[in-house]
Amino acid sequence: MPDEIVLKVENLSKFFPMKKSVFSRAKHFLHAVDNLNFQIEKGKVLSLVGESGCGKTTTGKTILKLYEPTGGKITFLGKDVTHLHETEDKKWFHSKTQMIFQDPFESLNPRKTIFDIVAEPMNIQNFGTLRKRELMVMDILKRVGISPPDAFLWRYPHELSGGQRQRVAIARALVMKPEFVVADEPTSMLDVSIRTQVMKLMMELIKEMNMSFLYITHDLAVARYMADEISVMYLGRMVEYANSEELINNPLHPYTKALISAVPVPDPEFKRKSVEIKGGIGKPIDPLPRCRFYDRCPFAMEICNQKEPELLDVGQNHKVACFLYKKDGGTIA
Amino acid sequence: MKAVLEIKNLKMYYDTQAGQVKAADDISFSLYEGESMGLVGESGCGKTSVSMSIMRLLPENARIISGNIFFGGKDIVKLSNEEMNKIRWAGISMIFQAAMNSLNPVYRVGDQIIEAITTHEPDVTFEEARQRVASLYKLVGLDPERMDNYPHEYSGGMKQRAVIAMSLACNPKLIIADEPTTALDVIVQDTILRELEKIQKKLNMSMIYISHDIAVIAEVASKIAIMYAGKIVEMSDSVTIFKRPAHPYTVGLMSSFPSIRGAKKELVTIPGEPPNLLNAPDHCRFAPRCPFATDECWKKEPSYEEIEDNHFVACFHPQNLKKQVRANAG
Ligand SMILES: Nc1ncnc2c1ncn2[C@@H]1O[C@H](COP(=O)(O)OP(=O)(O)O)[C@@H](O)[C@H]1O
Ligand SMILES: Nc1ncnc2c1ncn2[C@@H]1O[C@H](COP(=O)(O)OP(=O)(O)O)[C@@H](O)[C@H]1O
Ligand code: SF4
Ligand code: SF4
Ligand SMILES: [Mg+2]
Ligand SMILES: [Mg+2]
Repeated sequence: MPDEIVLKVENLSKFFPMKKSVFSRAKHFLHAVDNLNFQIEKGKVLSLVGESGCGKTTTGKTILKLYEPTGGKITFLGKDVTHLHETEDKKWFHSKTQMIFQDPFESLNPRKTIFDIVAEPMNIQNFGTLRKRELMVMDILKRVGISPPDAFLWRYPHELSGGQRQRVAIARALVMKPEFVVADEPTSMLDVSIRTQVMKLMMELIKEMNMSFLYITHDLAVARYMADEISVMYLGRMVEYANSEELINNPLHPYTKALISAVPVPDPEFKRKSVEIKGGIGKPIDPLPRCRFYDRCPFAMEICNQKEPELLDVGQNHKVACFLYKKDGGTIA
Repeated sequence: MKAVLEIKNLKMYYDTQAGQVKAADDISFSLYEGESMGLVGESGCGKTSVSMSIMRLLPENARIISGNIFFGGKDIVKLSNEEMNKIRWAGISMIFQAAMNSLNPVYRVGDQIIEAITTHEPDVTFEEARQRVASLYKLVGLDPERMDNYPHEYSGGMKQRAVIAMSLACNPKLIIADEPTTALDVIVQDTILRELEKIQKKLNMSMIYISHDIAVIAEVASKIAIMYAGKIVEMSDSVTIFKRPAHPYTVGLMSSFPSIRGAKKELVTIPGEPPNLLNAPDHCRFAPRCPFATDECWKKEPSYEEIEDNHFVACFHPQNLKKQVRANAG
């Protein structure tokens, strides 16, 4: 099936209570993720981009059940997984999903050998004999470029470089051939030459295993390279969504435009125009029912202060949440 | 043009239990008045070590083995601590890596800058210093009314602006900015880079920008030095470095960055990892990763030479030279 939907997220929200003390009831909420809708097809990569604090990590963790959602629905391989109660269901879900974290220094248990770290998902699932596990660990280590694998099996994370550690983290995530992976800034701690190696490696593995990825990054250039589709977040909301090339070459939302124009260009003869938005990013605590970009937007109108724009398809699956645009194309101006 | 800073064959090594770490190994470059230079390289290649040598702020186990650092006609390497104290901040100042996190949380931000001024210029009164901080705030795009706030009341970008204001406090001739925007989001980075550029031009200061990000360097520097494993392997004006990189490491670096401009390109990877600087080998340090390596490269180190006008490279087989380009075209 070419268009099989692996993950579907409907009105997904995650609010964090702002408590004064453990005894008081929360009166205020931080809307870290607010009403997200998107889906990922089999073998496709969707990238979530946006500045720090916009809700990327919270989205990834809520989908993978590391946080209980405040509202909305998550469907995975056709099954409602919003709330998993049965042990069997949890086991099934966690056998088919994985997360790769930003910091390979923190995400690997320093007291475990490389073999134990990579074999862990198999142990949890009670998968295979020891011999089978050994073969699979060797296999995936070789695949991620840790070679020769037997020279690394009994080493510890601190004996490896940052790049090697992230390769091990990728090996652990992929050893059971998951259907869906959340990768949260997996290369942002790595050095340039190593970063490119790891990006290319992930691209190859995604194609080879036909996996679906939610690829989180603050770097639009990385998103363009890794993802089929890009979605831009701002203060908990998805403000724009499109095919990667379309989003980079034809951004519509004023925030996306600012974000793209702020990216430095590796060409000393190119004179880039400066960004023209005011102020800095705040926190979405009890946000008012208006556009969240309102106080920084150079195009803000009366209506933007009165209600929140919805994410609308303006044509060819390019979606934008901004009153400057109308459904199925056309601008109001 | 007058050289503000001239470094000649600087060697700075760290002594460790495991052996000698050659963090700055035979570094030479000059920086002219009003010039901005980018120092580029991956982490651990020695960028901070070079700047800490210039500031003479070195840890106990660091030793300047040989070489000279001329600033204002004096060799910094030979100065006494008192003489160096006079140059630091007033002559050369530095925006340290992650400095915005080192503002003291219990003091008001303005007071911390006032203290920096009165320490180096004891004749300046408190009121005068306060006035100066207020105008520095305006210069870096901060509201002077925020002087009396504490660091936690500032956003990341505001803290970085305050740190920049502090580095300007005593009118230095040279500023070294060590990864000044690495921890910041891209829109904040953009405004801060513009601000720095504007101030540098306005005050005609010389700057050394340190970064691992070649795109940032392309926008702020007129000349670029590429470091690899403790050495400068290539240096020229920015356009030459980007359009005709000669050292194989620079060539690789230039095509390994994804970009949002132009057509989507296939990324080129440099195989392997940067070497440990402990007990460095006596052959070319890039040889294990170099696609052009020959026997010669494994036998001795290439010397650092001016292969074209104002284009310095340390490599036995430099690429994209004007002669080669012409030969290829013809
Ligand atoms: N466990 C938590 N408790 C309270 N607030 C949180 C928690 N995790 C994240 N936040 C807040 O939620 C918002 C989104 O954070 P995050 O998802 O980490 O953003 P990003 O990954 O895009 O940087 C931020 O304002 C952050 O401070
Ligand atoms: N105090 C120290 N003692 C021993 N080695 C050090 C010390 N400081 C830095 N180094 C080593 O020196 C090399 C260069 O470091 P540094 O100048 O910080 O690089 P960069 O700034 O380019 O990341 C690295 O290999 C680093 O591990
Ligand atoms: S809805 Fe209004 S305020 Fe929001 S981005 Fe669009 S124009 Fe700007
Ligand atoms: S000297 Fe040889 S090994 Fe070193 S960079 Fe040049 S060609 Fe490569
Ligand atoms: Mg995050
Ligand atoms: Mg450094």
